[in-house]
Amino acid sequence: MSNIEYPKEILKSLEEYNINIKDFLPGHGKGAKLLLDFNKIKGMEEIEGVILKGKEIQNGIIADIIIKEGVKLEDPVHLCFGVNKETGVQEIFPRIIAEDNSEVTIQAHCSFPNATGLIHKMYSHFYIGKNCKFNYTETHYHGEKSGAIVAPVAQIYIGENSIFENNFTLTRGTVGKVKILLDIYAMKDSTIRSTVKAFGRTKNDSVRIRDSIFLEGENARSVLKMKAAAQNGGEVLMYGVTEGNAPKCNGHVECNEIVLGRGSICRARPFIRATDPEASVSHEASLGRFPQKWLDELKAKGLTEEEAIQILIEAMLGE
Amino acid sequence: MLLELKGVTIPTFDQKCNIVNNISFSVKEKSIHSIIGPNGSGKSTLAYSIMGLPTYKISKGQILFDGQDITNMNITERAKLGITLAWQEPARIDGLTVFKYVSLGIKDKSNQKENVIKALKTVNLEPERYLNRYIDETLSGGERKRIELAATIAMKPRLIILDEPTAGLDLIVIEDFLNIFNRIKELNMTILLITHREDIGMVSDYATLLWRGDEIITSTFPEVMIRYCAKAGLKEYCKRTVFQGEKTGCFDSDYIDRIFREEESK
Ligand SMILES: Nc1ncnc2c1ncn2[C@@H]1O[C@H](COP(=O)(O)OP(=O)(O)OP(=O)(O)O)[C@@H](O)[C@H]1O
Ligand SMILES: [Mg+2]
Repeated sequence: MSNIEYPKEILKSLEEYNINIKDFLPGHGKGAKLLLDFNKIKGMEEIEGVILKGKEIQNGIIADIIIKEGVKLEDPVHLCFGVNKETGVQEIFPRIIAEDNSEVTIQAHCSFPNATGLIHKMYSHFYIGKNCKFNYTETHYHGEKSGAIVAPVAQIYIGENSIFENNFTLTRGTVGKVKILLDIYAMKDSTIRSTVKAFGRTKNDSVRIRDSIFLEGENARSVLKMKAAAQNGGEVLMYGVTEGNAPKCNGHVECNEIVLGRGSICRARPFIRATDPEASVSHEASLGRFPQKWLDELKAKGLTEEEAIQILIEAMLGE
Repeated sequence: MLLELKGVTIPTFDQKCNIVNNISFSVKEKSIHSIIGPNGSGKSTLAYSIMGLPTYKISKGQILFDGQDITNMNITERAKLGITLAWQEPARIDGLTVFKYVSLGIKDKSNQKENVIKALKTVNLEPERYLNRYIDETLSGGERKRIELAATIAMKPRLIILDEPTAGLDLIVIEDFLNIFNRIKELNMTILLITHREDIGMVSDYATLLWRGDEIITSTFPEVMIRYCAKAGLKEYCKRTVFQGEKTGCFDSDYIDRIFREEESK
């Protein structure tokens, strides 16, 4: 499967996120990969230590991605859920398992460049074993017509002494309607770092994200960062929840939000709770506009107010 | 004259009182012109007003740049004419790289990188070590100030207003900054240098003394320094520093005594 046809528009949208598409197609780069074109599996490439299984169902696929015990991968595993149609339904049921002592980076891309009424749903389960390093990066591109409806739900279990990093970015193009629910359960001595960024540019864009981290094991640690920007009537609502349910666990939630223009709604709010008397959970939040002094400093370099704001948003949401 | 202030008065934002009163002086093209004065005398206020910050609007008077009345222009318009300001405490912004920041004011986008590198070298920063860093809290105070200078130099402005560029820097670094100011001057830019330190002011060709919002004198730097000392009642200090400098050999002890007597009799 080395010379597969893959929609150019989807590949182009990946390039915008600084992804080298040469590495991306099967037969080219070194890593394992699974590529979907709408409801069809277009490419699947296993490598030593990685098992990929995919089955097409009526509106999408069921997939298993398994990193074998002790396997330490240098190249990322690529998952691409692309649709270049305008409308339709894509449903994905992935199960991602990292066995004990494994190390992996998974790069997932959800690209819908032409969406005008396209529904993408994902129900994923992650099981990360003991002593793993697991990095999950998900970038989205939903085209320029605010026509995607995207609703991923994920349940994530992080085993003892494992490190889990999660980066979710939706900052290019339009949003459409996005609703994300993420639950992460952190076991003893595990570390969670999760960063979520979204930018709602127009009144047709709405993002709702609820990320929850449950610190269930002794000494589990987490940092959850949520960065939201909304302009021209866009809506971005983010809720970052952290619960400390074990002795000596330590969680922190940091939220930044920037609202621009009339009618925009932007919330990035931390919620913290501790049921164990020895747990420590903290939060910080910044709201509203950029400081006037920042804007003045950029304007003194010849930028207009609008240009200065765009630069500051890019800096805030930057990769 | 590159910059002319004519009877400039700046009130506080609530208009209740004036921070500076009726200031008039001119800045010659390709010179270093200092504004000196003690803490709170209105130096930064004057700088912000020349840059066009809306909270420091002038209530009386006129500001001319290269003969053009800029009194009613906003910050961006003034910056596009070639005026820029390096703040006393430049902002720390997460996520903005040194490269991006220094390149902001470069109009010619074709050889941006080259110009950024050149600007960083002018302020003695090794480009490879700084280009990809962020202008956030991880930079030291001195590094942040150098980057601010680089960003203003990269714009190739005609007038750079430097507000306390050496505040918080140690002696070794200050010497280096004086060299950088001379380098900027060689690039045909004009510097309006705000400082309350006489060792920094020494690099300047002219100076203006502000005292509680009033302009006392605009002249050569040593002359202005003598007035500053007389105002502050620092006679011994004045004789030690101003009188002895090589550059200031033209002032004898009698002259200084006379200025001090004049000031006391006021
Ligand atoms: N927005 C404002 N409202 C009221 N007073 C102000 C305002 N801005 C400045 N001032 C006052 O005007 C005076 C001059 O301030 P300015 O910052 O210009 O002094 P400066 O000469 O730069 O002092 P320094 O050497 O400490 O930097 C001060 O007394 C200050 O408190
Ligand atoms: Mg000041």
